Amino acid sequence: MNDESPLLTVDNLSVGFVTKGGIVQAATEISFEIRRGEVLAVVGESGSGKSVTALALMRLHPGNAITTGDVDFDGRDLLNMSDAEMRSVRGSDIAMIFQDPMTAMNPVFTVGSQIVETIRVHDSSVSKQDAWSKTVDLLQLVGVPEPKRRASQYPHEYSGGMRQRAMIAMAIANDPKLLIADEPTTALDVTVQAQVMEVLHEVQAQTGSAMMLITHDLGLVAGSADRVQVMYASRLMETGTINQIFYESQNPYTMALLESIPDVDGLKDRLEPIPGNPPSLLNPPSGCAFRPRCNYAQPICAVDKPVLVSVGVEHESRCLRAHELGADTEALV
Amino acid sequence: MADTQIPPVLDEDVVAPQPGGATTAEVEGLSDKPKSFGRLAWERFLGHRMALVGAAGLLLLIALFWIGPYFSEFSFDERNVRDRKLGPSTEHWFGTDEIGRDLFVRTAQGGRYSLQIGALAALIATGAGTLLGALAGYFGKTVDALVSQLINLTLIVPAIIVLSVFANKWGADALGLALVLAALLWTRIARVVRGVILQIKEQEYIMAARAAGATHKRILARHLLPNVVGAIAVEITLLIGSVIVLESTLSFLGLGVKPPNASLGTLVAQAKGDIDSDPIRVLTPGIFIVLIVLCVNFLGDGLRDALDPRAKVDDGGAGKAAKKAAKAARKDAKKMKSSGTVVVGA
Amino acid sequence: MFAYVTRRVLIAVPMLLVAMYLVHVGVSATVDPRSEFYVCLPRCQEGFDRITEQYNLDTNIFLRPFGYFSELARGNLGDSSSIGEPVWDTLKTRGWNTAMIAIPAFLIGAILSLLLSVYSARRQYSIGDYTFTGLSFIGFAMPSFVMALLLQHIFAVKLEQLFGIKPFNTGRKTGENFLQLARDVTLPAVSLAILGIAADSRFGRASMLETLNQDYIRTARAKGLKEGKVVWKHALRNALIPLVTLWALGFSALLGGSVVTESIFSWPGIGQVFLRALGDADLDLLMAIVMFGGVLTVTFNLIADVLYGVLDPRIRLG
Repeated sequence: MNDESPLLTVDNLSVGFVTKGGIVQAATEISFEIRRGEVLAVVGESGSGKSVTALALMRLHPGNAITTGDVDFDGRDLLNMSDAEMRSVRGSDIAMIFQDPMTAMNPVFTVGSQIVETIRVHDSSVSKQDAWSKTVDLLQLVGVPEPKRRASQYPHEYSGGMRQRAMIAMAIANDPKLLIADEPTTALDVTVQAQVMEVLHEVQAQTGSAMMLITHDLGLVAGSADRVQVMYASRLMETGTINQIFYESQNPYTMALLESIPDVDGLKDRLEPIPGNPPSLLNPPSGCAFRPRCNYAQPICAVDKPVLVSVGVEHESRCLRAHELGADTEALV
Repeated sequence: MADTQIPPVLDEDVVAPQPGGATTAEVEGLSDKPKSFGRLAWERFLGHRMALVGAAGLLLLIALFWIGPYFSEFSFDERNVRDRKLGPSTEHWFGTDEIGRDLFVRTAQGGRYSLQIGALAALIATGAGTLLGALAGYFGKTVDALVSQLINLTLIVPAIIVLSVFANKWGADALGLALVLAALLWTRIARVVRGVILQIKEQEYIMAARAAGATHKRILARHLLPNVVGAIAVEITLLIGSVIVLESTLSFLGLGVKPPNASLGTLVAQAKGDIDSDPIRVLTPGIFIVLIVLCVNFLGDGLRDALDPRAKVDDGGAGKAAKKAAKAARKDAKKMKSSGTVVVGA
Repeated sequence: MFAYVTRRVLIAVPMLLVAMYLVHVGVSATVDPRSEFYVCLPRCQEGFDRITEQYNLDTNIFLRPFGYFSELARGNLGDSSSIGEPVWDTLKTRGWNTAMIAIPAFLIGAILSLLLSVYSARRQYSIGDYTFTGLSFIGFAMPSFVMALLLQHIFAVKLEQLFGIKPFNTGRKTGENFLQLARDVTLPAVSLAILGIAADSRFGRASMLETLNQDYIRTARAKGLKEGKVVWKHALRNALIPLVTLWALGFSALLGGSVVTESIFSWPGIGQVFLRALGDADLDLLMAIVMFGGVLTVTFNLIADVLYGVLDPRIRLG
């Protein structure tokens, strides 16, 4: 593999959950790439399919999930490899940081031993002592004070922010090529969020790994991502560079999302919430899924299903009126 | 003591009490309009196959015990010395006992007695337990401490001692026996009700409701009742099972129901001497005990799922459907073997 | 820890005394140890007086327990009138006999319920899960005497009738050597174990399912751990915590003796002698058995709580 080729290529990935009421399509025909060392943000409301996509990459979704598509990671076929092979990828080549640090660590083992386990499961030649001292170094790296003492403490003795730092330490223990951070700061206090994001970026920069940052918070994305991918009702709505998404968005949903976040500079007079609720995945609306809440909807939107169209270099949008939206959007309402 | 202790109620939900919320009902239906609690409970109950089986089985057993004897030409204590220890026949459906009494009629009578005592004791125990538990939870402090000590005391005295001492004296009539059994079985429901009330008192949504100006009556009706009523209904049902097992054990030891009355337990005790030559006579009342308790437990389980506002959305049906679909998907994948890949959840 | 244990014991002792007081009054009120003597009075005045003296029958029924307690305080458990030896000796031999079936029953029960819990939770909705669920429901609904009688009938009569073999003894403790003893112990122990397995395996399954759905299990898988390690280390260690409590309480009940099972298998344990003491109004022996049971309950409750604290680092005793 040369360095030009993407690290991860996802092609036509769909994930459905079988329920009593029928199959719930949680991710539909998702295709994207992550390049080496870059940060890709995946943004969307809860239930939009972003976490499901990430879990599907790791093959960690629940038993009633049905996954189709192709996932190529560094030349390896993730969806078709054996369970044993997949295990060797998890925690080593791809590591994951979960949303709620309060529940993501096993309460009955010390933080240190859980990190040691991560190291030794992928390299049993490392002695316990070496793994332990590496663990202490890792905790130091992510900014856990007194790492020697705290390594032998249990998760409940950590604060939420400290626990998430420990989770980051665990994730980078084996120098992964890809870090998947699933809403890493959502469960934390606002004051701690920024610190944890900073740690995340530092370690990402230091290890040179790529990162898939899943969040519902566009504000979080602004300072940290290279590219952004917006999801709605199980589908990709828009992908582009950070500038394209923030300043040249050609998708009504992205625009609505941007309207709804507070502006640090205080330039906005008021926030515009998105009216209505996300649609039921069991029973999606006809045509475009966002149509019922869309300011720009036209009769045709109830009939035709929009596809992703290219609206610029590396910029795609799923909207029947995507090309019009680039121009003077106010006039279109 | 091990085999005469109060049978624990089969309760899988005690593992992890989750914070309650009456609002889950609305979330479940997603885009559907919210349904009333009663309607949802009824639907969930109907969807619970085991509960329906339990309810139907219980009705059948009741019909058999109460109506069955009218179809037999024998009476409950009619002896026929020539027809002793007969096997089942068209005349004596379940055979006869060692003094020639018809065992079908006696089994029916025993079943009636067992069910009556079971229901009576369960009602008394639940009433007393609810009252004491509610008082303890509501007033806290001294009352709570007193009730807790009373619970501990009840648990420390071996059930069999209380039963044998008092049931020996009062076991002759059903009410006396039921009272003694209830005195041993009230603790669990008391703890459940106390716990629910303590928990609800602390809930944020109660404070929110109060802050929004809801009256005590409304808070009680909307938040407390659905939580406690469910627990009580479930408890009564499951207690009936416990009581029947306990009563039959006691009667088997000769300490419960006294002649001329018969319960399923005394019927087993009577026949046990002949078990090697005539196992049917032990088996029949034994099977009926198992059947009653099974039906009651199924029913209680169904009620719990139906009435528990925190019941999980996901259920066995979905799990099974998922397995099937996953299997089908795997098959399709094998067939196609083209670019599309199918992975079934880890 | 020491302070915690001391406090628990200090709370438990008065509770136990109250319970014993109540039992003493209750038994005194309902059974009369002199009943046999009334018919032969005045010829047997001597025996009548002896019993009156032994049980303080002259004093008020509510004061009588204090006579017993003052003897108890001096370390005197009294004499058993039904067996004719010091209560302490009876308690020792019978207690040991009960332990001989209680310990295997506990071990069988704990191991099997653990394995079944893990199996059923891992293979939820499989045929095996359904089978064990069904069996446990039946086992749960079956009174102990039916279970014991059935086992006895099958192994005493049916196996011999059909195959001419009799692998286990079906009554009383006969064995002198280990093999004989094992043949004696098996059926009563299994009969007791099945009762526990039915309830514990359901509880364990629920606990295991609950644990397997936790976030930290997903974390463990995301680390690349083998499924075996995820289940047997990360999940089991958590799911065990509530189970251990259940086991501790079940074990204390088993050690306290089992009235029905011991009677049916003619096993000379605490449960069997208890029935005899009750029938003969052997108050001293009854009180000793109640105290024994109470001490077991209190001790094992305490052990369960301490174990809880040991297994779950989040729990701090105090």
